[in-house]
Amino acid sequence: MLASEQPESRGRSHFILKKVLGSLLTLVFVLVFNFVLFRIVQSDPIGSLFRGRNVPAAKIAELRTAFGLDESLWVQFWAYVRQTFQLNFGISYQSRQPVWNEIVSAIPATVALVGISAVLSAVIGTIGGVIAAWRRNTWKDHAITSGTMVFYSMPDFWLGMILLVGFAVVLGWFPVGGMTDAGSTATGLALLLDRLHHIFLPALTLTLAYLGEYALVTRSSLLDVMGEDYLTVAKAKGLRDVVVRNRHAVPNALLPVVTLTAINFGFVLSGAIAVEAVFSWPGLGKATADAIRGPDLPMLQGLFLLFSAAVIFFNLLADVAYAWLDPRVERA
Amino acid sequence: MTSLAMQRRRATAGRVLGQFRSSKQGVIGFSVLLVFVVIALAAPLLADVRELNPVYARASGNPQWASPGEFGALGTDHLRRSVWVQFVWGSRVSLFVGLAATILTISIGSVVGIVSGFVGGRPDAFLMRITEWFLVIPFLPLAIVLASILGRNVWNIILVIGVTSWPSTARLLRAQVLTVKQRLFVDRARSLGAGNGHLVARHILPNVSGLILANATLAVPISILTETTLSFLGLGDPSSPSWGKTLEEAFVNGAMVRNAWWYFLPAGLGILIVVLAFTLIGRTLEEIADPRLGRSR
Amino acid sequence: MNRPVLSVKDLAITYHSASGPVPAVRGVTFDLAAGDSLGLAGESGCGKSTLANALLRLLPDGTITSGQVMIDGRDLFALSPGGLRAVRWTTGAIVFQGALHALNPVQTAGKQVREPMLIHQTVGSEDEARVRSRQLFERVGLPANQLDAYPHQLSGGQRQRVLIAMALACDPRLLIADEPTTALDLMVQAQVLALIAELRRESSLSLIFITHDLSVLTYVADRLAIMYAGKIVESGPSLSVFENATHPYTRALAAAFPTIGDQTSRLAPSGLAGDPPTPGALPAGCPFHPRCPLAEDRCQTAEPVLRKAGQAHRAACVLV
Ligand SMILES: Nc1ncnc2c1ncn2[C@@H]1O[C@H](COP(=O)(O)OP(=O)(O)OP(=O)(O)O)[C@@H](O)[C@H]1O
Ligand code: SF4
Ligand SMILES: [Mg+2]
Repeated sequence: MLASEQPESRGRSHFILKKVLGSLLTLVFVLVFNFVLFRIVQSDPIGSLFRGRNVPAAKIAELRTAFGLDESLWVQFWAYVRQTFQLNFGISYQSRQPVWNEIVSAIPATVALVGISAVLSAVIGTIGGVIAAWRRNTWKDHAITSGTMVFYSMPDFWLGMILLVGFAVVLGWFPVGGMTDAGSTATGLALLLDRLHHIFLPALTLTLAYLGEYALVTRSSLLDVMGEDYLTVAKAKGLRDVVVRNRHAVPNALLPVVTLTAINFGFVLSGAIAVEAVFSWPGLGKATADAIRGPDLPMLQGLFLLFSAAVIFFNLLADVAYAWLDPRVERA
Repeated sequence: MTSLAMQRRRATAGRVLGQFRSSKQGVIGFSVLLVFVVIALAAPLLADVRELNPVYARASGNPQWASPGEFGALGTDHLRRSVWVQFVWGSRVSLFVGLAATILTISIGSVVGIVSGFVGGRPDAFLMRITEWFLVIPFLPLAIVLASILGRNVWNIILVIGVTSWPSTARLLRAQVLTVKQRLFVDRARSLGAGNGHLVARHILPNVSGLILANATLAVPISILTETTLSFLGLGDPSSPSWGKTLEEAFVNGAMVRNAWWYFLPAGLGILIVVLAFTLIGRTLEEIADPRLGRSR
Repeated sequence: MNRPVLSVKDLAITYHSASGPVPAVRGVTFDLAAGDSLGLAGESGCGKSTLANALLRLLPDGTITSGQVMIDGRDLFALSPGGLRAVRWTTGAIVFQGALHALNPVQTAGKQVREPMLIHQTVGSEDEARVRSRQLFERVGLPANQLDAYPHQLSGGQRQRVLIAMALACDPRLLIADEPTTALDLMVQAQVLALIAELRRESSLSLIFITHDLSVLTYVADRLAIMYAGKIVESGPSLSVFENATHPYTRALAAAFPTIGDQTSRLAPSGLAGDPPTPGALPAGCPFHPRCPLAEDRCQTAEPVLRKAGQAHRAACVLV
């Protein structure tokens, strides 16, 4: 009786507060890590900027001062922290534009592509996993399990290459890359259709590539739940099989899947690097692939920080979602 | 005493082997893998390594972009090199990097996990914080950054994969060590005055070795796929081309627009099949190590 | 005389398992009249829960059943899927063994109590269901505010009461209670038992009460059936069976007088030597003979059948 009189939200908000603080700490770690990675491991940023080209010593010295490389590490670190919070990540070696501007202009493309595929793969994968588990050891289960495992086991960009050659090069149904037709001045609905036409193949690639994990996790989570007594109770109450499944089994089985989904959302942002490169999709992934060729270190550094922040944010979201969905969380 | 322990160990090995043999997926995975290991080991017999050299390929009068019917089993690429030769030698690099990186990953993960679980207290809290942080850092970008900083060679790739993918192993092992520790016999052995080293060697390790093996087998696919992606992004070792490197060259040199499918299909299929084989073996080992899983798989 | 709520004839149940068929129930026959209560007792593994689950056809796929079960005049094994769903919970409801896991952890207690009413439309609206669930909670002695509690916020005894309230939701004619008190501590066990006895007095509910603990049964059951190795080995009026036990197994059970809540008495309720046989490998003849203090040579050859041992009292032993 005591338990239910306690405001249950207190346990939860305490839990969430703890998670927020943990995330902030992780963010600090990532900041330090990033600094160490780029300023200490890579001891000569100016040298790598010119990569063996002959540059006058005076010019190099000038650049060193401009980059603040002659200061002590502490001074450099504080400067770096300040700049990071001002979203100042330096100038891209390649484009000579501020890294932040480059990143911002690439975000929408990636969010669109990755958002669509993440949602589709989570939804389709979860449904597939539910069907496979509920009908385990039938042909449906075998087909779903082995099918998703095959997609899960191939390099995602290779799948993209095959789809691109098959549907764009050979069949010509879809454009071979980019986000809009070159030189197109379309607006409104026509523009939207053009974009959809372009996003189809990369989104299909990523969806297929990510399906497997959801299907496998959902399946094994549901199989765990299927032995539970409360499902027999639900059956005994006279519920239809689908109602037992959807109302009692799936909500319990989905708890781990929700976590996976949120965490994956953080990772997919960076996971589409190679696939974006294959389809010349002008997002963060392609920006990363291009920066590697340089290597454009300020760009890589900015992207890395952004990717890490995304993962941290979605991890936090996963915890919050869990707290919201699972009434037992206040105990945990 | 020692012979008794050895006998017991042999009996365990026999049981595991028996269980493995009775698993269809395990046997299939193992047979497929065996084929690829043989190809990799017998590379010098199967394909002339000189053919990887564009100058040699041109000198031998190979055609350019020849399809499989026109030249050899798998055709040629833009530099007139035989794709078959690239496939055979690429299998070596991919398998080697995959295995070596996994060994590194598992070593780091096992040490962290076992120390953390066994010692407990502050070292545990500290190690787990670090592990959590590494889990949060998106590992492909980290691998990319590290590889770009360290430079393009096989050993760096191995190092990069090793230091980026250990955290999940560490967590898993820590949990397992904690359970083992709780079991009575450790306490009994401790009360008899056994040292820590003895406890780990005699009681902890034998009980987690199955899990380590299963986890290692399941980590190989991740290592291979990571190597493939890094190579595809241009971070591969130019002097020892892997399957991923083949895919990169095919992509960069326009194999797709030409529909030169023979250039990029074999390497990708090779990766897919090897990864599937390791996954099948790994799942089988996992079921043997933790029989509860059998139900849910 | 009205027709029995439940009539079971030659019911046999064989599970399918990886190591071969498991004959958990091997021919059980009994009737249960409206308002009557039957106590079912026996050691762990003798098939009590299997029998209980079979009465609502809740056994896993692949289980082989034979014999006949008439529930409220309907042939259970001939029912269509829809007909079966209609019978479940309205005619017969069940309180499962192991209350701790019988409630869905992500739904409130109240929602789970209302669900069967809404499914079977025994109430006209969600509001009516709320009113009725409040009444049910009152009846089983729970405060109304716990309708909104999640299972983990309730104690074991409270959860057991929720399960009983849930079982009563559609006013079933038959209540099957499978060891409803086993997981509870002593005080709470007594309270739940008193509650069930009270519910019986108040209504015309028929009851099957399952336990490994014979002394409990004389309190809630008019008649007793003792199970051993998948069969009823003795049955009759409660006091008659308890005080004039004829079967050596029942005698051992009755003599031991296990304390409520004592876990060792659960595992070896009678202090009998040896373990009950596993269903897969039953001894020939009387399955009890390896443990029976009175066993004779003939006990090893033919399995005894139930024979009259008194007024409405039967036992399956060669000595009867
Ligand atoms: N799903 C199943 N598959 C195979 N065998 C089973 C299954 N369920 C139960 N059994 C076996 O059937 C026999 C009877 O089990 P049951 O649960 O009916 O016993 P019980 O009398 O209720 O015991 P307890 O007092 O422990 O609850 C046991 O030997 C048990 O191992
Ligand atoms: S039949 Fe024989 S073995 Fe069985 S209970 Fe009676 S005396 Fe004992
Ligand atoms: Mg039982």
